Amino acid sequence: MSAGPYNYSYIFKYIIIGDMGVGKSCLLHQFTEKKFMSDCPHTIGVEFGTRIIEVAGQKIKLQIWDTAGQERFRAVTRSYYRGAAGALMVYDITRRSTYNHLSSWLTDTRNLTNPSTVIFLIGNKCDLEGQRDVTYEEAKQFADENGLMFVEASAKTGQNVEEAFLETARKIYQSIQDGRLDLNAAESGVQHKPSQPGRNTLSNDQQFNKDNCAC
Amino acid sequence: METSDSECFESADEEIYAENENKKSKKVAGSPPSKEIPCETEHISYLKTEETKNERTNILDSNLQVDEDKPTKIGLSNTNEPEVITDNNTSNIQEEDEVNMWDEDEDWEPVETKTEIKPSESPPLTINRIWGWDLSAMLNAATVGVTAVTTQVSQGLSNVLETGIGAPDPAELARRTTQEEHTHDAEITEPSTNSSTNLFGFGNLVSGVTQITKLVETTGNKVILGGLDTLETIGKKTMQVLQEGDPGLKKKRALLKIEGEKPVLSHILREAKEKAELENRLLEEQHFARKANYESLFDDHQGLVHLEALEMLSKQCSIKLERLIESQSGRELVELQETMNQIVELCELVDDDDELEDASEIKEKLDTAVSEMVINISYDKVLTTRKEAEQWLDNLHLGVCSELELHEQAIDTLAQLTALAVERYHKIGELLLIKEHRSTADEADSLVQVTTILTALIGNMATKFSNKLSEKLSDSTHKDHINTLITNVYFESANSTSYLKNAFQLLIPVLQVGAI
Repeated sequence: MSAGPYNYSYIFKYIIIGDMGVGKSCLLHQFTEKKFMSDCPHTIGVEFGTRIIEVAGQKIKLQIWDTAGQERFRAVTRSYYRGAAGALMVYDITRRSTYNHLSSWLTDTRNLTNPSTVIFLIGNKCDLEGQRDVTYEEAKQFADENGLMFVEASAKTGQNVEEAFLETARKIYQSIQDGRLDLNAAESGVQHKPSQPGRNTLSNDQQFNKDNCAC
Repeated sequence: METSDSECFESADEEIYAENENKKSKKVAGSPPSKEIPCETEHISYLKTEETKNERTNILDSNLQVDEDKPTKIGLSNTNEPEVITDNNTSNIQEEDEVNMWDEDEDWEPVETKTEIKPSESPPLTINRIWGWDLSAMLNAATVGVTAVTTQVSQGLSNVLETGIGAPDPAELARRTTQEEHTHDAEITEPSTNSSTNLFGFGNLVSGVTQITKLVETTGNKVILGGLDTLETIGKKTMQVLQEGDPGLKKKRALLKIEGEKPVLSHILREAKEKAELENRLLEEQHFARKANYESLFDDHQGLVHLEALEMLSKQCSIKLERLIESQSGRELVELQETMNQIVELCELVDDDDELEDASEIKEKLDTAVSEMVINISYDKVLTTRKEAEQWLDNLHLGVCSELELHEQAIDTLAQLTALAVERYHKIGELLLIKEHRSTADEADSLVQVTTILTALIGNMATKFSNKLSEKLSDSTHKDHINTLITNVYFESANSTSYLKNAFQLLIPVLQVGAI
């Protein structure tokens, strides 16, 4: 698990948002583990996932914040938007209410992140075509009107899951290349180079005095 | 190997510059056209990289460069001997000999030039003054004898050495002739001074001084020459042995890879040593960075990101509190601030050296502590990890497990326990914020207990690992290394404790928000 933790040159912070039960945690699980979680418990506050991907020959570590969709956590999860480079906004194509709430999620995202944050709209559960409640066209139009990227995906089959995460990363990377995203800004959501291994565990003894314990 | 050579060469540049200054005069005396020497081009490129220097310096540098190849040529051609000898600048020759000894190995002679100049050195005045005139008479009598003895001794010495080591070469013979002429001079002047000895007074004093000066000079010369002769003969013999079957030391130079570049041997060795040391250190660091770096392991176990999230949560609460405080005034403000301070006081940790041994005891204590918060949170993961680590230690065969592996396991366990604990603090924060009926005092009390138990648990784990490492001390040859590892385990244990205390501190605003 600790194999090659330093083999990347960027860290991108993603946040996954959307109503309860749209499949946020399952999308993350599919992306990091390439497996479908059939009975996924409710997320408390926020959970995390990581995966190292490659964009234009650069290794990038995606640090993904998977937020709780329950309304009662809304205030808590709002604390976590800051500094996200990518926001995956998820709705369930079989439940129109989750689609209707998108504008509220979008408002939060716009207010709590920075202008360069890439927002990607995902219509999940596209494997359940028979239960479709939201058409591709209307969602596509919503995305275009708001300048969002958009796909329909399935956490169950894995369809388009990889694409959504990777496309977001490519867009962020492009922003860095174009200079639209300031790496030095604290809220860019991008860290260039991993935080160095820092002190050598054995040589740096002055930190001993830092905080002495009761052990 | 090649890189190290060029590095050596570059670092030796300063010496080469110094050398150049002395050689300038000689180069003008038309040395044969040079063949390109590899080191030369390297040197130019080295100089060219220093473009930040002003042009003047560059010109100066390039002058030096031009000069530089010439001494090398001299070293390689054997025609330079007359030049060296006719050069009147003694200091030049002396320095040249020191720095350039590898050049001159085939005409190993320039000591003669020095002998000719030696007598012109200032007389040792102090000695004259001390001895005074009444000693002069006695010394006068001894002078002749001493001179003779000195001459004989020094010549005898060189004779012995030369016959012992090998036949003297023409240069040696020439040198000895010069030396004999000097001895002769001294002997001639002595009788004339002897005639005035019975007069006493100034004349006598003067002549005595002159005599002593002469005596000291000649004796000094003899001694110095004798010493130099000896050194020279030894040096010659050494070179002879070195050059046996290897004319011009070509093979030996090739072996040392110093052909044409002439860095000092000690320099090469020192740099090689430094390089090796640096490489070892880097390897060691990489090893520890990969396998036993607490921070990266803590990150791998998602401790860092939970801590970051907890910080964000804490900050959000602080902002909320600040806004509230700003909106209040008068008595309400005072009361609010009092409440805030009371909560901070409630969260003060007491140093409790509670020994935790039994797993069920720890679980019970934790459960009791957590229950006061009235939120759905369990420490099962922390307890499981602790149990697994304990089992690992119980099943450990010290003979099979190296101290490094043991240390790695220790650091990983500490990092994992800490990450899990920090994650729990973060979850507690989130759950407290969505809790409907807050009871801040109970929450604070509960968190104090939990923190005390967790820090004791981690300290206990560190002690167990350290004890295992200590067991390895007795039958190990790397006692220092093991001691460093033990120290490191305790250090990271202290580090873990401060992470937990930090996490707890971050929860204070969460508790405060619940009290308003």
